[in-house]
Amino acid sequence: MNPTFRSFFTLILAIFMFTWLGLVVFPWIYLGHLPPIQDEGSTDITPWDSSGAAHQGEHIYAVNGCAYCHTQQVRASSSGADLVRGWGTAKDDDGKDVTRRTYPRDYIWQGQVFLGNSREGADLSNVAQRFPDAGKLYSYLYDPAVLNPHSSMPAYRFLFVTQKISGQPSQDAVVLPDADAPPAGYEVVPTEDGKSLVAYLLSLKKGYHLKPDEAGIPYVPPSTKS
Amino acid sequence: MATLFPTTVAPRGFVSTDPELAAVDASVRWPVLVCFLSAVHWMVVGTVLLVYASSLTHPQDAFPILSWFIDLSNNFSMFTYGRVYPAAIDALVYGWASTAGLGLAAWLLARMSRQPIFAPAALMTAVVFWNLGVAIGLTAIFLGDSTGVELLEFPAYASWILWVAYAIFALWTVATYLGRRPGYDHIAQAWVIVALFAFSWLYAAGSILLSSHPLPGSGVMQEIIDAWYVHGIFTLWLAPLGLGLLYYLIPKVSGLSIRYGSKTWVAFWTWIIFAPWTAVHDLVGGPFPAETVTTGLCLSGLIFIPVAFIGFNLVSTAFEAEEKQGHHGGVVFPFLVLAAMAFVAAGISEQLLSIRAVNQLLRFTMFRQCNEFLWVYGFFSFVAFGSIYYIVPRLLDFGWRSALLVKIHYYTSFYGILLVIAMLGFGGVMQGNMLENPDPAVTITSASSVSVSFHIAATMCISLIAIGNGVFALHLGWMLIDWLRLRVRGNRLASEILVEPYDGDVAAPASPEVAA
Repeated sequence: MNPTFRSFFTLILAIFMFTWLGLVVFPWIYLGHLPPIQDEGSTDITPWDSSGAAHQGEHIYAVNGCAYCHTQQVRASSSGADLVRGWGTAKDDDGKDVTRRTYPRDYIWQGQVFLGNSREGADLSNVAQRFPDAGKLYSYLYDPAVLNPHSSMPAYRFLFVTQKISGQPSQDAVVLPDADAPPAGYEVVPTEDGKSLVAYLLSLKKGYHLKPDEAGIPYVPPSTKS
Repeated sequence: MATLFPTTVAPRGFVSTDPELAAVDASVRWPVLVCFLSAVHWMVVGTVLLVYASSLTHPQDAFPILSWFIDLSNNFSMFTYGRVYPAAIDALVYGWASTAGLGLAAWLLARMSRQPIFAPAALMTAVVFWNLGVAIGLTAIFLGDSTGVELLEFPAYASWILWVAYAIFALWTVATYLGRRPGYDHIAQAWVIVALFAFSWLYAAGSILLSSHPLPGSGVMQEIIDAWYVHGIFTLWLAPLGLGLLYYLIPKVSGLSIRYGSKTWVAFWTWIIFAPWTAVHDLVGGPFPAETVTTGLCLSGLIFIPVAFIGFNLVSTAFEAEEKQGHHGGVVFPFLVLAAMAFVAAGISEQLLSIRAVNQLLRFTMFRQCNEFLWVYGFFSFVAFGSIYYIVPRLLDFGWRSALLVKIHYYTSFYGILLVIAMLGFGGVMQGNMLENPDPAVTITSASSVSVSFHIAATMCISLIAIGNGVFALHLGWMLIDWLRLRVRGNRLASEILVEPYDGDVAAPASPEVAA
């Protein structure tokens, strides 16, 4: 290794380090280990953890590439029209609307986060608010055209099986219009994958408040902003 | 335009008259050829998958084949858009661009070091394992074992194979460089060395932090690391590799030295400093520290400096060559000129995205795909096409078979890429206008009703690219088969001539006088 190459390589290394520090290490110091916030005088924590089934569903969401068309991030009104589209609105425990952007602390319980880079489909940060029950999500996944004739979403029939009704019809049987309905005596039920995906989607709801200084990004008082 | 291509292609006579270079070319023949062949194979696979994936973005069953595609995607998990699209992009980035890039790097470093490569069999083994890694990774995506992280979809067991194969390959080529003859230093080597180093860092850090040992609870950090990785792949791996080849081949083919040559090092260092900060284009407005985003936008906003210098270097050299020689000259040059222009276009699109207001408009639209295609299809593919047209005849001492096929390949890829970029770029603006509309009555459905016509156009343009790619693949295959036949037949002829005198009585041909 001659001296010219050594100094060349050292300089390259230094520049890469600089980028790595700025892009990865610096945000990690702020965001790598955010704890939830505990309310004073109670045991409630914000945000709350989602269920185990929801974590199973993350995997189904990942392998079927939902994130290539759906985002899970809501920008502030100063940097996008996401709030106007209604993607940042969810009801809190008292039934009041919470409309806000998403913060780093919103994602701390997710094993894998899917912020996404494309909005061919709607943002899913608060999808559970718009689809509060599993049945509606099942029929949407089975045939999106049922609820939205102009939807460009593909159908996910491989997340369902058509089976013969033996005895009582299944609780999870998907309600379908005549065009999609299975033959008489049969029913369409979600597979385990379908159930966990829907459980995950139903966990996506951010109906709680985070003050800016609790949100996980350094708080800048409004007066210093121009 | 009539003089853009020669009407015939030379059959033989490509071996360098310099015996040192001829020896280098002979030593890297098989590893580089295997790289190119497998890369072209993945290119065809990736493009076909991309046509299929793109046709699913406009589910209209006007054509029978489209309704068949929709049935496939509805009922079989492996044909769903969310698996085929990442598989197509990974096949193009790792299978096509990176594999071709490895071959190009090995050839360039060996040739510029004037050093025949030591034990090419090791390099071959690395290429075989690299391809194995790509094949396993793609299979895993189809079978539902993808990680769901953009460009790092390959599960850990595939990315380990890829990384080890890559490390062997890169060490081998860098070792060749380090053993170079003194006095042979060129900017092209610096670009390739930087690319080789960057990929090892990017891929190791990316796959360890995001796919083999994912960090649960690290929240949005995952997306920051992925943004760093994705933009690193474009700006620190594919871009420097391609630029290295362009800085070597454009002067070589045109016979002119690089214009504004004193600025090549400024361009190099400013690119390395500013370009990776384009990562923050995927973070603007999201749940990330504002300091990182603002710093990133400032630094990536300076990307016009290296882009302008590199554009002056390469494009003006190319235009000067055109002026002097009256035409681009041969099979190779038109592709290289397009590659240089595509680099400038990609730089401009990065520059646009570093403006906050523009980024806000285009952030979640198909413009991002336009930017991606500019790097992979527009810039790097054209570098690889031009270089393969240059290198393979020199490895085999055997010419391309048909000027017509080169011409078809050139025009289909040129118009295909130009149109797909235009459609996705313009479509992105239209889609952004809907998504960012302050009128609450506008919904996601109205946005997708605007974008659907651009998706249809994009599918048609990608089909055009697919035709060009197919023609190129067939041409390469035809050339190799002819070359093999010539070698086999040539050897048989030689052996027949050798054994003839000892192989029984051979009747002497009747002389015309006797017969008469």
